[in-house]
Amino acid sequence: MTVSSGGFPWITLVVFLPLLGVAAILLAKEEMAKWIGLAASCVVLLASLPLWVMFNETTAAMQFVEKHQWIASPSIHYAVGIDGISLPLVLLTTFLTPLCVLVSWTSIDTRVREFMISLLVMETATVGVFVSLDFVLFYIFWETMLIPMYLLIGIWGGANRVYAAIKFFLYTLAGSVLLLVAIIVLYFSSGENTFDILTLSQSAYSPTLQSWLFWAFFAAFAVKVPMFPFHTWLPDAHVEAPTAGSVILASVLLKMGTYGFLRFSLPMLPDASLSFTPIIMTLSVIAIIYGAYMAFAQSDLKKLIAYSSVSHMGFVTLGIFAMNAQGIEGAILQMVNHGITTGGLFLCVGIIYERTHSREIDDNSGLAKPMPCYATFLVIFALSSVGLPGMNSFVGEFFVLVGTFMWSKLAATLAALGVILAAAYILWMLQRVVYGVPSQSMASKLSDLNPREWAMLVPLVFFVFWIGLYPKPLLDVMHASVDNLIQHEVKVMTVDNPEPILPATLALSDSLSQDRKAMLQ
Amino acid sequence: MMTFDLTLTGSDLLLLAPEIFLTIWMCVVLIVDFSVKNIDHENLAYLSIGGILTTLVNVIWFDYIGVHGSLFKDMYVLDGVAIFFKIIILIATLLVLLISIDYVKKFKYFKGEYYFLVMMSALGMMFMASAQDLLSVFVTLEFSTFGFYVLVAYLREDARSSEAGLKFFILGVFAAGLLAYGISLVYGETGTLVFSEMTSTPGSYGLAIGFILIFAALGFKIGAVPFHSWIPDTYQGAPTPVTAFLSIAPKGAALAILIRMFFVALASFKPMWVLLFVVASIASMTYGNIVAIAQTNIKRLLAYSGIAQIGNVMIGMAAGTKRGSDAILFYLLTYLFANLGAFAVVIGVSNFIKSDEIEDYNGLNRRSPFLAAAMLLFLLSLAGVPPLAGFIGKLYIFVAAMEQELYTLLIVGLINIVISMYYYLIVVKKMYINEPTDPTSITVSAPLKTAVYIGIAGTLLLGIYPKPFIDWAVSATLMFSNLVAPTAAAPVLSPLVGG
Repeated sequence: MTVSSGGFPWITLVVFLPLLGVAAILLAKEEMAKWIGLAASCVVLLASLPLWVMFNETTAAMQFVEKHQWIASPSIHYAVGIDGISLPLVLLTTFLTPLCVLVSWTSIDTRVREFMISLLVMETATVGVFVSLDFVLFYIFWETMLIPMYLLIGIWGGANRVYAAIKFFLYTLAGSVLLLVAIIVLYFSSGENTFDILTLSQSAYSPTLQSWLFWAFFAAFAVKVPMFPFHTWLPDAHVEAPTAGSVILASVLLKMGTYGFLRFSLPMLPDASLSFTPIIMTLSVIAIIYGAYMAFAQSDLKKLIAYSSVSHMGFVTLGIFAMNAQGIEGAILQMVNHGITTGGLFLCVGIIYERTHSREIDDNSGLAKPMPCYATFLVIFALSSVGLPGMNSFVGEFFVLVGTFMWSKLAATLAALGVILAAAYILWMLQRVVYGVPSQSMASKLSDLNPREWAMLVPLVFFVFWIGLYPKPLLDVMHASVDNLIQHEVKVMTVDNPEPILPATLALSDSLSQDRKAMLQ
Repeated sequence: MMTFDLTLTGSDLLLLAPEIFLTIWMCVVLIVDFSVKNIDHENLAYLSIGGILTTLVNVIWFDYIGVHGSLFKDMYVLDGVAIFFKIIILIATLLVLLISIDYVKKFKYFKGEYYFLVMMSALGMMFMASAQDLLSVFVTLEFSTFGFYVLVAYLREDARSSEAGLKFFILGVFAAGLLAYGISLVYGETGTLVFSEMTSTPGSYGLAIGFILIFAALGFKIGAVPFHSWIPDTYQGAPTPVTAFLSIAPKGAALAILIRMFFVALASFKPMWVLLFVVASIASMTYGNIVAIAQTNIKRLLAYSGIAQIGNVMIGMAAGTKRGSDAILFYLLTYLFANLGAFAVVIGVSNFIKSDEIEDYNGLNRRSPFLAAAMLLFLLSLAGVPPLAGFIGKLYIFVAAMEQELYTLLIVGLINIVISMYYYLIVVKKMYINEPTDPTSITVSAPLKTAVYIGIAGTLLLGIYPKPFIDWAVSATLMFSNLVAPTAAAPVLSPLVGG
């Protein structure tokens, strides 16, 4: 079930253009590296726009598909394509990479060439992950991304960077190797001897096998998300990484995990997904509350945001495993929102760190006076993170909570508690950073935003309000694909549990969906 | 009784053309060395490289036009597998000669003979790749090892090199003894020495012991646990190009014999020998990787990583299928480029800073971005990180194991990837993250650079466009396609090794 690319290999272009930039950086002088990095990432952003413009919203099929045989036996293809689930994430990646180049403009002053190369290779790998339609290709991109991230943290990171980099690498690698086993098992057990993701999603597997595969997938994806209790690498990595690294890590890499659940766990292993839902939901709720609780205790701004990420990603997994249209659409929306909001917050921390060389809240208090514009942006992103109505995260969290409510009222209630906690720790942070007593020693260093920093933050704010006020274009993109995914799950549910409750739930889900549509019109 | 009535025709000799040519060329190199006064050893090196290149072209041409056949009552065979391994050995020799040129300056005497000995070992290994009966296995194996005995101890003034030579010699001779004893037992039980004639022999304890002894002897050559004890000291003490040579060529040649022996002669006993390989593989991977973590010398690190890599290769042996043999061949090809490339970088660094300590790799990226980037690629390929060659090799091996439902082996193999990543990352960390103690930049000579470039090209090409090479491996092992039925052995094995 695919739609051809209409000839021009747009996806290949977007995936491999950054590598062209890498080649240019290698050939050019070191001083040119950041300009080439910026140019390359902007060109990639432009090249990714046609994917959106020409995207057909009415079909759940893969679009812009390219497929070429790569290895004959075992049959591995270079197969790429996008649907409504991957498109937002691809655009998020191409959109954030130029911002990452910009934020590193002055803060990275050593080995600029290597830095830009790492950033562009990251872009290739992450976009590649989202567009792969062959499991081995997916795995290749998935693993490739580790090396540049390792170098980003390890070379340009903070004091304890080596520990953080190796911890990040080994944690994710340990999860990934189980994914590799699962991929090879699928190759043989689908009966088709193929790594094609669409074919593998259509095949049926025995419940026992599904359980094994589910946990193998879980090991890889949960580490990446990261779900409680696999989150311990995240605060370390975030705190030590340079700003651009934190942005990429939080905004794009974490989504690879949740994307994995959506693209693989749910369609390929519907029975197992269904039967393990309570466990995942429990872990998600724990993550939401635990992350928020930990965020309270942090005095380091980056650590605070890192723990808030754990909490927010809990919402995403909650939405995914609610397995209804609201939950999943909310989850995808929340993936994009978290990318924008947390990306913005990390950029803000990076901006202040460049001035004061401290991420401690106590060192950075009372910024409203010396840096009014900066403080405004910080407040916007912080409130977006809280989920203030009218801003992006509200829409996503609302959908997720609606979806969760239909699955379990208790889970929804507990998750809503997480929203309140988020409001508490974010506002407390704001109170100190924006309105606190300014420290005298820092005052001389505080100049307000320069044009480059404006250029980084304004686009993000634009998306904060656009998605907050008019999310319809984004929802339309994902709608057909999500419906298709739900249909797939429904088939399994009705086969397994012929109880009449489910059709009723679905009817409720449908009517809510209508209401929501009406609301959005 | 066996009678040797050897009748040779001209067309028979054609099968031996590459070896005959190489023999003549070796002698030419030696004669030139003796007769031309004050000849620069570098010219001898290029003369040798020319000879190896010509031989390589010859073998590739044979492969292309499909020259196959056997000689001396099946003692010597030229088939797809033999050609594949010969090409691996010749490429390895070529790269070793390239990386030797600067290193040979360190030798006080016998610079010219060095090249002769390298080519002689290569010749012996080429014969090994074609050995199809136990007698030729013994003769060719000893012939190739003979050159290495001298090469390992070539740094005469260096006590470590002499120690390495002595250890290698004693254990090598011990292995030869095991081999001879094993062969005598097998001959006693079966009355034949040719692999293809053993397929229908009934099993017996004598036969089993005989083959285990032969396996042990070959285990010494490939450096599998528990026959690995000579490897670290020998690798560290030997001249680095010789270490590089040792790390791939003899392993390849010995694997050619192992594949033939187990996949042809012992095909019907597969359920029994699979366990042997499963155990050896798990032991090699785990031991090699864990001990590698503690190494402070890069040559020792590569030695232990090599032990672990052989463990990976033996996963393919344990699978015991056509796909298993394809995977082994392809894996060796990826290992060839990554490992020799890594050794080329080691030589490049040690020529300049006179040290093989990992500590001295601090800030290599600042001192030579080229060497650091190359080393990064090679180590990542050895670790199996996509999209490099090593990943496809490991994937292929794991697919073969999964097909045979060797879950235990598979899981251990994957855990080992994570362990190995750790020590490769430590080297990467030193090169990229640490600051150099001495920031002078490192210059690399042209031949060495060529070798590194060949390594990079191979590592990238095999990773990004592996199709033609996999096709080549698949067609080379066609002879095994009818031997081991994919599922026949699985039910017997599952209680032993299944998950």
